Amino acid sequence: MNKMSTSSHTEKNIYQPFEATVVDIKEETPTIKTVVLKIRSNFSFRTGQFIEMTVPGLGEAPFTPSSDPGVKTSIEVTIMKVGMVTEKIHGLQKEDTVGIRGPYGKGYPLDKFKGKDVVIVGGGVGLAPLRSLLLSLFSDIDNYRSICLRYGARTPADVIYKELLPEWAKKKKVDVVTTVDIGDPSWKGNVGLVTTILKDLPVDMKQAVAVVCGPPIMMKFVTLKLLDIGFKPADIYLSMEKSMSCGVGKCGHCRVGKFYACKDGPVFTYEELKDIHDIWD
Amino acid sequence: METYFLKHEDILGFYERIDQEYQLLVPTKITAPLALKCESGINLPTDDYLLKHYSQLKKEEVAFNDYRCVEPIRTYFTHFKEEVCSYFPNDEKQETQTKPFAISGVKNCDLFSLKIQDFVFLGGNEPDTLYTQRREGALIISSDCPHFKEACFCRAFGIDPYPQEGFDFNLSALTHGYLVDVGSPKAKSLVQALKEILVPATSGQLSGRATKRDGVVKHLDEHLLYHKIPAKETLQDIVRHGFDSSLWQEQIQTCVECGGCVFMCDTCHCFLLADQPEGENAKRIRIWDGCLYKNFTRVAGGANPLKMRYMRLRNRYLKKFDFFIDTIGYQACCGCGRCIEVCPGRIDIRHILRRLYEEKNLQVKESA
Repeated sequence: MNKMSTSSHTEKNIYQPFEATVVDIKEETPTIKTVVLKIRSNFSFRTGQFIEMTVPGLGEAPFTPSSDPGVKTSIEVTIMKVGMVTEKIHGLQKEDTVGIRGPYGKGYPLDKFKGKDVVIVGGGVGLAPLRSLLLSLFSDIDNYRSICLRYGARTPADVIYKELLPEWAKKKKVDVVTTVDIGDPSWKGNVGLVTTILKDLPVDMKQAVAVVCGPPIMMKFVTLKLLDIGFKPADIYLSMEKSMSCGVGKCGHCRVGKFYACKDGPVFTYEELKDIHDIWD
Repeated sequence: METYFLKHEDILGFYERIDQEYQLLVPTKITAPLALKCESGINLPTDDYLLKHYSQLKKEEVAFNDYRCVEPIRTYFTHFKEEVCSYFPNDEKQETQTKPFAISGVKNCDLFSLKIQDFVFLGGNEPDTLYTQRREGALIISSDCPHFKEACFCRAFGIDPYPQEGFDFNLSALTHGYLVDVGSPKAKSLVQALKEILVPATSGQLSGRATKRDGVVKHLDEHLLYHKIPAKETLQDIVRHGFDSSLWQEQIQTCVECGGCVFMCDTCHCFLLADQPEGENAKRIRIWDGCLYKNFTRVAGGANPLKMRYMRLRNRYLKKFDFFIDTIGYQACCGCGRCIEVCPGRIDIRHILRRLYEEKNLQVKESA
């Protein structure tokens, strides 16, 4: 028992979620919903940090809140139905109770974005955590040169935050371009992968950073494109989707090289990841 | 460090006293009718030892284990499957006070592994409450290894078959009794109550122990010559260099994905949080998980960075010999050989490390 840390027995149980109540559910697309949760007063998060959301008896899954961290009374989580837990979450009703643990991870380093052109590239439901980032940036817009959002979804029906996107585009210093992989007769915008709308970004490459969130294959090709147009690996921020269970660097599931996505990420610069094998898998 | 002598016939008295304050676990012997000689001509024992509650054993069943027990020591600090919380308690649950446990028969390989477990479960900003309680409460009675099994290879990584730190008590078997090292204030507080059976060790007894220890080290080193296990300083280089080696695909052929290697491993720590049962009495369960299982890194939606079996085998080595060396400066392998003994596919960590070393160094020679 030498070299033991001096921890007391009254420390909190790191696996114990606290209760949160569903106050609203918005349908974004047929497979994506935004759940609004009323949270106890002393919970707060930094944009880009994630939470573990529990359906008692079924299990928990990691999500990054999509709401403004400045709003203290509730959080919003935009969730795609892809598995057991998310299917159950989609079936939740107002007044239902879920569990929350967290927040975990480091989130977006806003200090490093100050005074810069912030290019935000989202794919599919990957726009959810980026919405939280956007709202944080909007609330402090004077400290940033500009915000440039590039968003791609598979089809027009898969576009999330349909009402919000045009509102964001109207804001000062904000430039929004969207695209879909496959269009339909109602779609009047760009058609093509998100990489096709990364040309001629209205930014000064010397003082720009890029933030990317989306499916792994999209992140890979967006990163390659960003490097190609002159971004430095240290200025590209990636959200790594890994199997995060405990959230505190103990369960071993989300290892990426010498990092755990849960405590060292989930946001990493490409500089940190570029020498690690198979990061896009 | 204070060292005492304890006569053979007093070991039960020693245990008896400890069992009053702790739930004491002691080794019992499981005899195996096998004879084994290693390549260096050394007779190797094949018996096994299991830990059992002292209070439930007959006196003659209490054994001194000549080498590590079958079960990994971590099993007493994070249970294979246990409840970690329930939904949603109105106030903090009162912990029921039970006697802390004491384990006798812990070996130096086990103590090395506890350093890894401590790093994971006590480290970081959020220590694991259950682990902390058990670890702080436990009394560790380690002991020297007078013998070793065929699979033992602690010395390959510079870990000696006798403890010098990290224990409360350490026992070294001599001809007529045991030397008892007192390694912590907790142990020291028990010495007073044991003063009738503990007498200060003589310099002759101490030098006798040193001779015995040297003898075991010499034999173990001879045995390990055959396996040509690379030195610990090379481990990170060879697993990194071997990333694209065909060795992983070759070695995984006989893996049946039983998970034995990870569950018997004393340095593995991965777990999964799961809920059961559904409904009002739902509880959160923590269950040991293993990176050799195909869903270990699978995320919702189906993406899986370790989709092939060979990738998972390689991942195990990268975790132990790359990640941990990067993170804490030493490998997460104590050389206990439990993974070698348990594997029905005869996948042998000693062999894989040796092959990785040879692949790297052969290629270096070719390109030179």
